[in-house]
Amino acid sequence: MASHIREFLGHEKPSDYYSKLAEELERTNSEYHAFNVIKKDTEAKNQVPFSTKANICVKGVETTAGSKMLRGYVPPFNATVVERMLKEGSFSFIGETNMDEFGFGTFGINTEVPARNAFDSRYAAGGSSSGSAVATALLKYHVAIAESTGGSISTPAALNGVVGFTPTYGAVSRYGLIDYANSLDKIGIMARSSDDARGVFDVIRGRDNYDVTCAIEKITNNKKGKLFVIEELLEKADPKIRSEFERLLDKLGKEYEIKTISMNILSDAIEPYYIIAMAEASTNLAKYNGYKYGFQYGEFNRRYNDFFTEARSNFGMEAKRRIILGTFIRSESVKARYYTKALMIRQMIINEMGKVLKDGFVISPTLPIPTPKIADVEKLTPVQNYALDVFTIPPSIGGFPHLTFPYAYVNEMPIGAQIITEQANDYALLDFSSKWEESFQYKYKHNIGSL
Amino acid sequence: MKIGLEVHVALPTKSKLFCSCSAEAEEPNTAICPICLGFPGSKPMLNEAAVTSALGIANALHCKINRNISFVRKVYFYPDLPKCYQITQTDGSVGGEGYLEIEGKKVRIRRVQIEEDPAQIVREGLLTLLDFNRSGTPLVEIVTEPDITSEEELRSFIANLRSILYYLGVDINKEIKADLNISLADIRVEVKNVTGIKSLIEATRFEIERQTQLIKEGSPIARETRGYNEKSKLTESLREKETDEEYGYIYEPDLTTFDINGMGFRQAVYIGEIAEKLAQGSDLNPKTIREITMLDSRSLELINKFKAEYKLRSIVHAIERYKKYGGEEAPSDDVIEKMTKLVEEDKIITRETVQDLKAGKQVAIEYSKLSGDQLDKLIRDFLDKNPKIVAEYKRNSKTINLIIGKITEKNGLHPKDVAKRVVEILSGY
Amino acid sequence: MEDREFDRLLKIARLKLNDTERKRIKSDIEEIIGYFDKIDVISTHERPAYQPIHVPTRLRKDEIAHFDDVDGLKRQSKLHNGYILGPKL
Repeated sequence: MASHIREFLGHEKPSDYYSKLAEELERTNSEYHAFNVIKKDTEAKNQVPFSTKANICVKGVETTAGSKMLRGYVPPFNATVVERMLKEGSFSFIGETNMDEFGFGTFGINTEVPARNAFDSRYAAGGSSSGSAVATALLKYHVAIAESTGGSISTPAALNGVVGFTPTYGAVSRYGLIDYANSLDKIGIMARSSDDARGVFDVIRGRDNYDVTCAIEKITNNKKGKLFVIEELLEKADPKIRSEFERLLDKLGKEYEIKTISMNILSDAIEPYYIIAMAEASTNLAKYNGYKYGFQYGEFNRRYNDFFTEARSNFGMEAKRRIILGTFIRSESVKARYYTKALMIRQMIINEMGKVLKDGFVISPTLPIPTPKIADVEKLTPVQNYALDVFTIPPSIGGFPHLTFPYAYVNEMPIGAQIITEQANDYALLDFSSKWEESFQYKYKHNIGSL
Repeated sequence: MKIGLEVHVALPTKSKLFCSCSAEAEEPNTAICPICLGFPGSKPMLNEAAVTSALGIANALHCKINRNISFVRKVYFYPDLPKCYQITQTDGSVGGEGYLEIEGKKVRIRRVQIEEDPAQIVREGLLTLLDFNRSGTPLVEIVTEPDITSEEELRSFIANLRSILYYLGVDINKEIKADLNISLADIRVEVKNVTGIKSLIEATRFEIERQTQLIKEGSPIARETRGYNEKSKLTESLREKETDEEYGYIYEPDLTTFDINGMGFRQAVYIGEIAEKLAQGSDLNPKTIREITMLDSRSLELINKFKAEYKLRSIVHAIERYKKYGGEEAPSDDVIEKMTKLVEEDKIITRETVQDLKAGKQVAIEYSKLSGDQLDKLIRDFLDKNPKIVAEYKRNSKTINLIIGKITEKNGLHPKDVAKRVVEILSGY
Repeated sequence: MEDREFDRLLKIARLKLNDTERKRIKSDIEEIIGYFDKIDVISTHERPAYQPIHVPTRLRKDEIAHFDDVDGLKRQSKLHNGYILGPKL
């Protein structure tokens, strides 16, 4: 499939294209809630619209990370990725997209007004980059700067039938990204084609003097002939998903050698992932106290401990849960048992996956279940919910680049699969899916901004 | 008695520890940015100069230097702490297992670590006003083992530390913050956030007396954290302080484990040892030399430059006179050399002498020669006009030097001439 | 989890919960910790991976640069004579 960016830039547009686009987006948004902020007074001139997840700072635009605690926060600076997109010249900012509070969620429902699936608004959009995925599925010409900690790009991308690319940890600067878990957070891209994702990746990636962890400079394109399926993980998939996935493997089998392998350690990736994520998150959320930015508690005559405690009531349920758990995990008396142990297991996972990924890609469904209805997701317990991240957590905890692509439509809802490669071999993923797009046409229900 | 210290001193960098804001600014909240305000989205970038400076300190304190350093987040909630966690160091600190020598004894240094300073709190009535200019400025924390056993040793420790740090560009006379732990019995009492050398000594003295009294009375000493009140000069029990259990340290994942092997740093200058060496074979004691060089690297330079040519005593005297009369400006080699020569010629150095020398004027001091009667009259006139000074002399004969000084300076006389007569004349008063 | 331990965590984290939240979050947390305990059986001698990639040493030169929108920073909070207002001590 050709690049939408190129197609768009090479096409005449009426002078009121951007204002009409904003109007229509506004209307559609009232049903899907993809955007928290839509920029209406755009000065765009033949530039591709791009959106940013609401945890990426845009100068002068209210950026809340989906949290009441940050309501009113207007960053006085741009995140490095935003700065680079604007500087490049081909892109214009159209708005900030909805998300689970601070990125805490698999389905996008942990926020005040959840985004809804672009194919059927009764269904979950997926999370935590819910709005990024829905926006990409609504807009014909658009790219989304999204972010993933443990699958927050893959999952919503799969549920909305778009390409979701999560680069190697440290390939893209996190400066200006409102932290969830610093050693896991990765800024990535959603688009309607892999070429578009590649184009944006080349604009935003690379060394930044404001983020020392942005350390992956050289991106390779080592092609792989093998696709590995991990037995322990595939077992966790619902039979309906499994049978669709088998059909995909049949198709891919013509080009790639498909091998089922066992990797025991991946049955235990979710626990260490959440331990690390919560430990780091609970420190990142300490700063939200109702007086420096965002929500203003205002009762300055209250003593600071009471002031903080009152102000912090504005965190949502999942945020509170993770703060308490993270605080527990960090306690000196249990830290070795949970936090340090989880970091050691992370190293085991990196070692074992690293070995396998030298030989080939790892492929799996993105989500183990068909797209759920919002009402059903609300009934899940946290542990049931966390367990659904089974396919997205292994690459996330190991910092491996991964990419979700749509491969089938069942009852007119898209289904996605995810491939993983070695650290810094990101281009190989984009090449893989570009090739896939040559023989598979992505479908959308909405095409706002068509020419 | 066991006293341990955690001393916090500011590192001499231009910019802050994790951002490029100036480390010094006057107007409140002018040297601030998203990083030192802990704004959502900001990330720290470690200042190279803070590391080299801390390395110099660790080296001067004979610490084992770590090849790799890393940082941790120490979580606690206070209005002056922008992120509500402080970026500091524990196991991955710059160095540890060192010592500082005080009069033949070693006070062990457990650790030297880099950390960020919180904001400055200004209280106005009931309002808490925050100035983030200080937020994120680099500190080094020096943690000792509880090896100090008296107030005297504490004074020596601080004096030595002060001179070592001075020669590394850190002046703790300007600012020092310390936490003390003092145990007379087996119970450890902590005194937190003591600011300034004077308060540090006073807080220690008070705490020693308080604990001594409790022991005498047979009352129990509580294991607690106390604060020092500078106004009342008392230590008082503080709100509950967090423990390591609550701080919940984790690795700072926005930074990395820095390889600092081979990084350069300033070498230490041990004034105590240097003073000992200089004093050998000279007519001065080491203490005098230490005092003049301790907080003035220029003095040491001048001594080293002229010690081969002139008597140490003369150089030191010249420097002392310059400090008294020469103003803020650092002395030039030339001025000090001329002054030293004058001292060696037994001439008196007055304010005018120093001013003239600084202005590049020729100074030729000729002592007035007076007849015995004229001299006696001059002395008697002075004594008659200053009965208080005479009374003071009767109580304490050491004040004779003051009297001689006043008379000679005023009249351009040779002190030896005056001294002889003054004692005789005074005996008649 | 004992109520006392749970309350201690709330206090350290400066959180308060209403009755409904408390009931639900406490039981969730017990379940999640039980889930985390599964890692006890994994034996490992690896060094902790604080980051998933190797992050090489990179330091900032000690140079001053002024942030270009100090007012934008200060506008986010309540001010008093140029100071940022904080809660009572």
